[in-house]
Amino acid sequence: MSGGDIRITLQPFGTVFRMPAGHSLADHLIVHGVEFPCGGRGRCRGCRVRVLEGSLPETPADSAQLKPGERRAGWRLACQARPESDITIELRQWTALILADDTEFPFTPGEGLGIAVDVGTTTLVVQLLDLATARVMGTETALNPQARFGADVMSRIAAAADPASAGRMKEAVRKSVGDMVTKLCTRISASGRVVRATIVGNTAMHHLFLGFPLEPLASYPFMPKHLEGVDLAGSELGWGGQAKGASARFLPNLGGFVGSDILGVILATGLHRAGPPAGGADLGTNGEIIFSSGGAITVASTAAGPAFEGARISQGMRAAPGAIDRVVIEEGKMVAHVIGGMEASGICGSGLVDAVACGLEAGLIEPSGLLPAGKLPVREEVALTRQDIREVQLAKGAIAAGIVILMREMGIAEADLAAFHLAGAFGNSLDIGNSRRIGLLSFPADKVKPAGNAALLGAKMTLFMPDGGRKACEDIISRVRHVSLETSPDFQDLFAEMMAFPERG
Amino acid sequence: MADLETLKKAVEAGKRKDAEAAANAALAAGAAPGDLVSKALIPAMASVGEKFQKGEAFVPEMLVAAKAMKAAMEIIRPKLVGTSYQPLGKVIIGTVRGDLHDIGKNLVKMMMEGAGFEVVDLGVNVEPDKFVEAVKQHSPNVVAMSALLTTTMLSMPETIKALKSAGLRDKVKVIIGGAPITDSFSKEIGADGYKPDAFSAATLAKELVGKK
Repeated sequence: MSGGDIRITLQPFGTVFRMPAGHSLADHLIVHGVEFPCGGRGRCRGCRVRVLEGSLPETPADSAQLKPGERRAGWRLACQARPESDITIELRQWTALILADDTEFPFTPGEGLGIAVDVGTTTLVVQLLDLATARVMGTETALNPQARFGADVMSRIAAAADPASAGRMKEAVRKSVGDMVTKLCTRISASGRVVRATIVGNTAMHHLFLGFPLEPLASYPFMPKHLEGVDLAGSELGWGGQAKGASARFLPNLGGFVGSDILGVILATGLHRAGPPAGGADLGTNGEIIFSSGGAITVASTAAGPAFEGARISQGMRAAPGAIDRVVIEEGKMVAHVIGGMEASGICGSGLVDAVACGLEAGLIEPSGLLPAGKLPVREEVALTRQDIREVQLAKGAIAAGIVILMREMGIAEADLAAFHLAGAFGNSLDIGNSRRIGLLSFPADKVKPAGNAALLGAKMTLFMPDGGRKACEDIISRVRHVSLETSPDFQDLFAEMMAFPERG
Repeated sequence: MADLETLKKAVEAGKRKDAEAAANAALAAGAAPGDLVSKALIPAMASVGEKFQKGEAFVPEMLVAAKAMKAAMEIIRPKLVGTSYQPLGKVIIGTVRGDLHDIGKNLVKMMMEGAGFEVVDLGVNVEPDKFVEAVKQHSPNVVAMSALLTTTMLSMPETIKALKSAGLRDKVKVIIGGAPITDSFSKEIGADGYKPDAFSAATLAKELVGKK
């Protein structure tokens, strides 16, 4: 490495590389999947990046394409940039991969500004809203910095057995959220103060954020001692600027592993209303399933495993640049789309579902899950193995069995179901037809409704309720019944039955 | 000459009714009950296990095969009394304290039975003391523990400790399994072995019993 090397950090995925000072940044970003729509000539805004740390000199193309306010906020065109020193930049293209929410919803106008925070196991999303108009004034996204203590919920819980690590996880996530809030307030030249903030997350994220001990979540009966919502002051969270005086609330959990993120999903999808039978799911490592009918609600979490997050798949990865996220058959051949248009380095959940569906259609995978050829090539550099198909069977079998058990518990017939809402990143990138093809979902395609980041939307809705959503949450909690799938007597047989793929035709 | 091949094929294919019929037919034709087990049921389950290992069969196929084997075994068992047939040994199996996941454990149990072991199933969320009590009561050759979560696998060393303090550790072989388990974890906690799938777990148990 030459002495003139500088260090470039790319957010929100934290990629780090080195390059010689003064060279073209674009040459080095191409390998990381950044696209230059106009060919790197400074004529579009497609490659814009925001300087988070360090500095990038303004270029004539920056002045032509970016507004003064944007340039002041640190935005630059990556194609023209020649960094002279270490920088950390945020890539607009990558930020778009983290699911925020811009759904319009009915609201009662309030005063001042509000903040909604979705503390996900993988990603953090913060939105600033004008409470008078419900307009989203700005969105900040980041990866959850707790990731270095483990990628999934269970490994974080295991890590939290060491109180020092638990403390560091609490500090890390609070600092990230605080930085995002402060950044939003400084970036958005909005008048008014942040009066209210709502935070949602799964039970483990709730406990880690608030500093509650995680042991109860580590083993059976997985009953957290702290289900309650917790009030916090913006100042004690280290929030600066207009958010200093905000009163924040981490919404209550529903029980077990079902946290306030699912409460948010219920609020956002209207599953708490006494309506016709409907359901929903948030398909992460713990696939949470919800059904409601006439005001009664049941929830369950399935140990679906992390296959749809790309884990335990030989070439699996998260939905990030380089991941195959879509596969179709064209002229008898599999054609894969790669996020960022680069060479594929792996396959993410939505690509996995597509690839298996294509394999089934092409007769390369048998309904039993057998892959006679041993390998299913998706693209030159990426293939699925026999074991990968088995992992998909386990994940989709657990979810499909969970859905059947909850529908039976509620006495809901498939024909009567009004809608099935899919929350979360995987659910929203999923091809519904292919999810039916592999038997993950069995509902008619027109009943399956992608719900975006419904947890975040639910959090935003509470900002407009006079009591910050207290009553609405209490009301939902009083009507929710948590069903333990593992103890259901026919779970094992159903699970095994649901592992098979539907026959062709 | 009794037809053991039909019984073997019916179990392999998971055809419960056919397996029952074939077992009855073979017994009626005068086959030794022990032969039905050793020459039909055990090879059938071994064949399913090998296919599982190669990725050619999966949980559903294994479950139906095990159900067919069990159904046939119900018919054969009463006839085994008074014959020279001996099970390979006794295995105590359970999902450890704090863990409720039992599908992996059930598959291991089926393969153990399929290999000719007598299996005592302690179920899920089994306390270390309960393992100790069961060892005292049943005097098994092997104790098999399962855990699916990184947080609950820590109950395994506790159970081993409890066996030690009860003075039973060197009377049994301890084997472990489950998604988060590794060979090095097995060595670290002083277990006698770990295998990644149900069939090789049964093979390991056979080896361990042979060595004893």
